[in-house]
Amino acid sequence: MSALVVSNVTMRFGGLVAVDRVSFAAEPGRITAVIGPNGAGKTTLFNVITGFYRGSAGTIMLGDTALHRLPGHRIALAGVARTFQNIRLFGGMTCLENLLVAQHRALMAASGFGIGAVLGLSRYPAAERRAIERARAWLVATDLLDRADDAAGALPYGAQRRLEIARAMCTTPRLLCLDEPAAGLNPRESTALSALIVAIRDGTAAEAPPCSVLLIEHDMGVVMGISDHVVVLDHGARIAMGPPAAIRADPAVIAAYLGEDEPA
Amino acid sequence: MNRAALRAALRDAGIAAAVALLLFAPMVGLRTDVGPAGALILRPRWGLVALLVGLVFCGRLAILAWQTRRKARLAPPKGLPRAGRFLAPALLGFAVLLPVLPFTGRYELDIGILVLTYVMLGWGLNIVVGLAGLLDLGYVAFYAIGAYSYALLAQTFGWSFWVCLPLAGILAAFWGVLLGFPVLRLRGDYLAIVTLGFGEIIRIILLNWATVTGGPNGIGGIPRPSFFGLPFSSDGGPGSFAATFGLEPSPIHRVIFLYYLILGLALLTNWVTIRLRRQPLGRAWEALREDEIAARALGINVTTTKLTAFALGALFGGFAGAFFATRQGFISPESFTFGESAIILAIVVLGGLGSQLGVAIAALVMIGGFELFRDLDEWRMLFFGGAMVVIMILKPRGLVGDRAPTVTLGGRKTAIESSMVGQG
Repeated sequence: MSALVVSNVTMRFGGLVAVDRVSFAAEPGRITAVIGPNGAGKTTLFNVITGFYRGSAGTIMLGDTALHRLPGHRIALAGVARTFQNIRLFGGMTCLENLLVAQHRALMAASGFGIGAVLGLSRYPAAERRAIERARAWLVATDLLDRADDAAGALPYGAQRRLEIARAMCTTPRLLCLDEPAAGLNPRESTALSALIVAIRDGTAAEAPPCSVLLIEHDMGVVMGISDHVVVLDHGARIAMGPPAAIRADPAVIAAYLGEDEPA
Repeated sequence: MNRAALRAALRDAGIAAAVALLLFAPMVGLRTDVGPAGALILRPRWGLVALLVGLVFCGRLAILAWQTRRKARLAPPKGLPRAGRFLAPALLGFAVLLPVLPFTGRYELDIGILVLTYVMLGWGLNIVVGLAGLLDLGYVAFYAIGAYSYALLAQTFGWSFWVCLPLAGILAAFWGVLLGFPVLRLRGDYLAIVTLGFGEIIRIILLNWATVTGGPNGIGGIPRPSFFGLPFSSDGGPGSFAATFGLEPSPIHRVIFLYYLILGLALLTNWVTIRLRRQPLGRAWEALREDEIAARALGINVTTTKLTAFALGALFGGFAGAFFATRQGFISPESFTFGESAIILAIVVLGGLGSQLGVAIAALVMIGGFELFRDLDEWRMLFFGGAMVVIMILKPRGLVGDRAPTVTLGGRKTAIESSMVGQG
């Protein structure tokens, strides 16, 4: 059974068709990459999957859950976590607080929806200890433990990217969606990021269960190095799909990236 | 200033003086005049040049000195929070002991009650504006709903203060939810405009629904509070507070009771806020203030989380309104104008969004200070306007703008600088 099945998803903005009947499946325990030239509709597709846009047509299934019918915050609860192309951390809160906000749902239930915890008669302290332990494990996995009590907004750029991934993983997702995680990273940071994404897929990071990954990326070194499956978009439509080696040799992909020869 | 810095400053000033000399020597120092023979003669004015160069030298030194002092003052930004460790308990102790201090009379107690009412309102609004980042310009509407709810319930049904107080708060919170539900999808300025309108609508309803609210005449003869069933009657008859405790009957008893009542209500507000801030709900509010889109992507229900902040703020506003009604014994729409909302918001902004201590200090300064300068008549408005401008220039994020983390791994609590913290 596939982790995520996207079928015939279309997104129109007025007369513009940003995503045109795209279908693909992301297998569980695999890294699926979505690539394409600028303006191909990758981020739009991403926003439809994660519920930030409501698709004009098509269905998105995560297991038995119909994501396209759920309101925004329920999609995260269904097991889809995401990061953002332009980093969106809670800048005035510490790294640890960022990771605790990500565990809001579990903590909220333990705190008796705020009332029990204010009166001090609930199992909240134990739940918070567990949440802090999980946050600590992810801080270790992303190499941020020594910055745990610093404001997220004060971290260097690369660390902010890693913290955003840690925050997404703290929601215990079944599918992690990364929107250009390597953008702005230097080669060494990109290599470390690749290793982190592979560890998340295999369930070797922070004792979390294995997690499927959906990846949008421009850095071909990262995409070809770690992806198990690649989907190529151009002008909103899917033009190729397959393992990285096949994609690299696909004439349609080469044409989309490099342009076609003029017919003689 | 140390020796090296002084030498650098002197050199800098010397360079400025040299440039001035170069410029002023031909322009000011040499003047051509028509001589007695009709020919041009050169008249040197070296004294004037020396004066100008000296002025430049001293002026440059003064600017440098001011800049280094300014830098030194801006460098440690955590002055007040560190002082807050002692200031907050000191303020609390002063507030608790005020009625028994020797110099305290009726006038001081009345000011204390007034200040504490605004402290409570400020703390209530702080939940909405400071933590959740929702700009609410109509907070006084909930204050009014609380006051009128208390007055009408107490008069119509004759219920005691302790029954009517929670009911007034719950009614205010109910209206907070009712208003919040449609408008909380708005953000920033749009939300501010709608809440401003709501505040005015409530006031105009109170003014025109004369059969229930008495219209512009207001509601008079609101039952005064009793000490858990024992009335504060002035004749000291059997069953009154004074007779039960064997005291000389005095009107000050009621004032002292009212003082401790509002102190208790304000501390309840503070306690709930401080506890909630360390809970997932409080962290979700702050996450919404920092980045609403990211919060939604983490599975936080934006609407209900905002609603809880709105309702809780309204609840405490309603409590304060009920207290206001029982203290005054008379309420009218005059007391709930937009000006009140503006003062409460000014207290929160001046104190620092999200800071409990800052809001308390700001309320003390704004309301207490306003009373203190009563003799200055209209001039005090000018004085306060000027003081607010000065504070906003020196401390643009309010008196206590830094944010203390709600939880730490290492145990060291370093305040987060105000420039990092979002403002909704």
